[in-house]
Amino acid sequence: MSRPPCRLAALGQVSALGHERAGVFARLVAGDCSRLTLNEELVPERSLWLGEVHDPLPAIPAPLARFACRNNQLALAALESIGPEVDAAIARFGRGRVGVVVGTSTSGVGDAEAAIAHREKTGVLAHEFHYDQLEFGGLARFVAEVSGARGPAYTLSTACSSGARALAAARSLVALGVCDAVVSGAADSLCGLTTNGFAALGALSARVTNPWSANRDGLTLGEASALFLVTAEPGGIQLLGVGDSSEAHHMSAPDPDGRGAETAMRDALADAGLAPEQIAYLNLHGTGTPQNDSMEAAAVARVLGGEIPCSSTKPLVGHTLGAAGAIEAAFCWLVLAERRGGELALPPHVWDGARDPALAPIRLAAKGERARAGAETFVMTNSFGFGGNNCTLILGTSDSR
Amino acid sequence: MKASLLRWAAWAPGIESPAAWEAWAKAPAPLPASGSPEAKFLPAMLRRRCTPLTRTMLTAAFGCAEPDEIARLRTVFASRHGSINESIGLLENVVRREKLSPATFSHTVHNAQAGLFSIAAGNRAASSSLSAQEDSWTAAWLEALCFLERDPREPVLVVIGDVPLADTFAPLVAEAGVPYAFAVQVAAAGRGPTLELELAERDSPSVGRTGTLPVLRPPSWPPALEFLRWWLSADESLEQANRASRARWSKV
Repeated sequence: MSRPPCRLAALGQVSALGHERAGVFARLVAGDCSRLTLNEELVPERSLWLGEVHDPLPAIPAPLARFACRNNQLALAALESIGPEVDAAIARFGRGRVGVVVGTSTSGVGDAEAAIAHREKTGVLAHEFHYDQLEFGGLARFVAEVSGARGPAYTLSTACSSGARALAAARSLVALGVCDAVVSGAADSLCGLTTNGFAALGALSARVTNPWSANRDGLTLGEASALFLVTAEPGGIQLLGVGDSSEAHHMSAPDPDGRGAETAMRDALADAGLAPEQIAYLNLHGTGTPQNDSMEAAAVARVLGGEIPCSSTKPLVGHTLGAAGAIEAAFCWLVLAERRGGELALPPHVWDGARDPALAPIRLAAKGERARAGAETFVMTNSFGFGGNNCTLILGTSDSR
Repeated sequence: MKASLLRWAAWAPGIESPAAWEAWAKAPAPLPASGSPEAKFLPAMLRRRCTPLTRTMLTAAFGCAEPDEIARLRTVFASRHGSINESIGLLENVVRREKLSPATFSHTVHNAQAGLFSIAAGNRAASSSLSAQEDSWTAAWLEALCFLERDPREPVLVVIGDVPLADTFAPLVAEAGVPYAFAVQVAAAGRGPTLELELAERDSPSVGRTGTLPVLRPPSWPPALEFLRWWLSADESLEQANRASRARWSKV
């Protein structure tokens, strides 16, 4: 391998599946959709299934009150789980050598809605509202301030590929030697803007999302945060491959041929130096919209063929938008970290089983399905976003890399 | 971190040609508070969907690449505020429980400018969009270095820009901003005029090798244009105090 090592050394995460590792992994491989809840408030005259985080979230420390918003609370919940590892990295490398690259598509826009509602009633924005909560760069600044990392800190926002793209950048920053460690991942929070926006686009499912089904009718939204400590060390679980592309097609619909998705997957394989048959599992973007699943099936069939087990985890946690690439990389990380006895327990594809004959045939992981895990085991995750922004990551266990 | 700057383009109201920017750099002055380019190079159908920010950033982007490059280069788009001005109307719709415009919603993602550039240029290469408050220019340069780390063979087109923040939020920030965009092609070191970026913590006494702490008075124009002013000057180095870091740029 010509690429330098990139270790995903520690993971903190929170989603509708919870935040405590053992419980999240158990629900992930059981295909537990029971954590989704029905919401009657966010979109007028509609009830929606949502992947809301129900775990109590940590309070924003008082000196950082200007960053106090739900999005940053989700990030803090993930960060607290890797606090000791981040502290150790700062102690070892120096705080100026630890960077922050995070993704979001919402930042604290839910709190901006509350501030504007206050202005509608009183004529002024709520006094606790600060622009740091709303601007995209505020998430990276908050994670830097609260963690003590003082290296470069920036927020990537390329819609639903933001979280995957953040990890790609973190890998390059440690490879360049700009940083010795990077806190990287994403946070995205449910709010009125995204739920009503996707409702206006006609993209929301009337039921729980049903990806790959002939009956699929749209996506289910969710919220999540996942943050990794990314280092230049070998061993453990490595970020081995990144592939990305633009579509030059449409702002809110993918190229029906799946050419952009295909490029991202092929480039990730080439970057990792892997053949398609070496991939043990693919976490699909799998939003459950007619357009996504159709083009992604075509692209996956062309690149990986019809034998590699695939699943969408969006029926479990919802489409967490800017966090999707990070939380789904987190699920892949958990699958690799929890390998036992030469086997991977895979997240099953949860759906009604009504295969759409119009979709190119790929293999969907069944409940209880396991894949063989060798000395080197590789998994892939896809993220495709508005604006035609695609990013595919490959994670792997490899003692030799 | 060394890299080469192959070419640049910039736009601000009334400062549109390279010669106008050379003149501005010799006698820099605060920039006009309003105005946006027509971006007539865009097809009319597409231009109608472009906000002032999109027209401004795409004017710089298309001015910074040859026709045979525009569809090929990887891109980094950076903006502190992005499409927040257009989001305000949507937020008002949400709190009044009105229907949202689906087109407006899908054009307010932070990568809207990158997405419309990709469509206008027929560009299918990798693209990133970022924001880092007052540090966005330094972050954009770093993100370009990340793309070059992955593949140093082709340059990266970096485009940064903003328009003034609307009245709803303008009182919440120290500077509401001026309309501008700046684009550069960044390539692996040695491919053209080369410069080095060194970073240090904001409160550290020195950056790089100089060992001195100059008084850094932020200029009254965006950091990216202060960088351009320096690039066009005879000065060997530039120090910029960001919100969280200090950047030292040196011509190599």
